[in-house]
Formats: sequence, C-alpha cells, structure tokens
Amino acid sequence: VSLPAELDPETYDSSPEKRRAEAERLAIRARLKRQYQLQLNNPNPPAIIEDPALVRWAYARTQNVYPTFRPTPKTSFLGAVFAIGPILFWAFVFKADRDRKEKLIKEGKYKRPFSVF
Amino acid sequence: SEMSKDLMPGPYPRTPEERAAAAKKYNLRVEDYEPYPDDGFGYGDYPMLPNKSLHERDPWYQWDQPDVRHNWGEPMHWNFDMYIRNRVDTSPTPIPWHTMRKHFLVFLSTMLIMFGLGEIYPSYRPVGPKQYPFNDLYLERGGDPNKEPPVVTHYEI
Repeated sequence: VSLPAELDPETYDSSPEKRRAEAERLAIRARLKRQYQLQLNNPNPPAIIEDPALVRWAYARTQNVYPTFRPTPKTSFLGAVFAIGPILFWAFVFKADRDRKEKLIKEGKYKRPFSVF
Repeated sequence: SEMSKDLMPGPYPRTPEERAAAAKKYNLRVEDYEPYPDDGFGYGDYPMLPNKSLHERDPWYQWDQPDVRHNWGEPMHWNFDMYIRNRVDTSPTPIPWHTMRKHFLVFLSTMLIMFGLGEIYPSYRPVGPKQYPFNDLYLERGGDPNKEPPVVTHYEI
C-alpha cells in the first residue's frame, strides 16, 4: 500500500529539479493529449483509434516473454518449484493413498463407501 | 500488428543509447525510465512503474479513458489488469498496513489457539445417561402389555 499524502516525503519535496521534472512530464502528457484529441475530433475519423501503449502492453505480456526469457538459477528454481513440484507432490500423494487403500482391501479391513450391499 | 518493430517492446536495454531510445518509445523521460531488472523473467525492456492501483489516480481529472483512468499513449503498468478499480486497491489506509496485519494475526492466532485448546481439553457440565420414563419405555419398545414390566428406578434414596 502507499503512504497517505501527509506521511509521504515526496509530497513535501518541491525543489527546482522536481518542478522541472514535473514540467517535462506535463509536456509529454500534453503532446500525447494533443495527438489523441486531433484523432478524436477529426472530421473523417479513423475506424478505431488504436492506443500504442495498449498494443505494447499486450505485446510485452504475451509475445515478448519467450524471446526475453533466460534460464537463470532463479528462474530454474522457481520453475521447478511451481511447475514440477506440484506434479510430483500430487503424484506421490495419490500413489500413497492408493497403496494404503490397496493394503486395507487386501487385509479385508476396507469398508466400501456408497456400497449397495 | 501494423506498428514497426522499433515501436514494440524488445530485449533489455544494455547501452545508454538503447535506454534513451526505449524511454522515448514508451513516452517516458529518460530519468523516469527504469526497466525491470534483467533476471531473465521475460520482462524485456518494459518500464517498471510504481505499483499503484488505479484507485489512487485522480478521479476528477479528464482522462481519455475515464473508466480505467488512463490517457492515450501513457505507459501501462505490467499488472494493469490487476490494478483496475474492480480489483486490487493500494490506496493509503487510515491505519498503517503492518499495524493492521499485526492486530489481525494476534486476534486470529488467539482465537485459533483457544479453539484448539477447547478441542483437546473439553470442559462441560457433568452429564449422565438419559433416563426414560414408563419403566424405560417398556410398552413403546414393544413390550408385552399383559406381562408385568421390569421395574426401573433411576434414583437412590
């Protein structure tokens, strides 16, 4: 969670560098706004005003993951824990449960649930 | 899509020129642009924006897309679809988060420990077996009405 405005030191920092940074960000934002408004109020508007930020976001999350993936110790460890771990764990659990049931049936001690007899 | 390859996200930027080009591509200042650390997780050169949900953005500003509080061309957070206003909310809480977490965990652990102890060491008023009237329900249990029922007394004087 973020800090409330009264406790966040960034709200109290109004140095000239911060002001210039804010001015530059405002300039970028104004340029983008202008581009968008020009397209929006166009007398012959295009069929769809595509947002390059949205396209980039979707591309980065879907098609740019595989080319930029690299097997490092951290990624291999996490992959083993989250991908291979559950499979092995549940295989072991089911096998152990089945073995226990088989042993009980062989000994004749297993009470069949939902039995019609 | 129709956009050129240099407008799309790419690999992690190594040189300062690549960084500047990536910042320009994402419509960020060069000082603001901070890619995710190059750990091979698949982020590439996507910028790391502050983890603030859309609840914290100004509700009164004229956004280009008011429902997601987003302007055209503004770089979206990697977890944008998590931070929308129907989902995760990172707005400041009246009480600090760790205080809330501590209070909740103390309460939860106290209740769980007390319930656990109550299961291990149950405590209730003394009870005895249930006593039925009419000679232990002799007739209702199918006793012969002509025969004398066995006398059952549940008390001692």
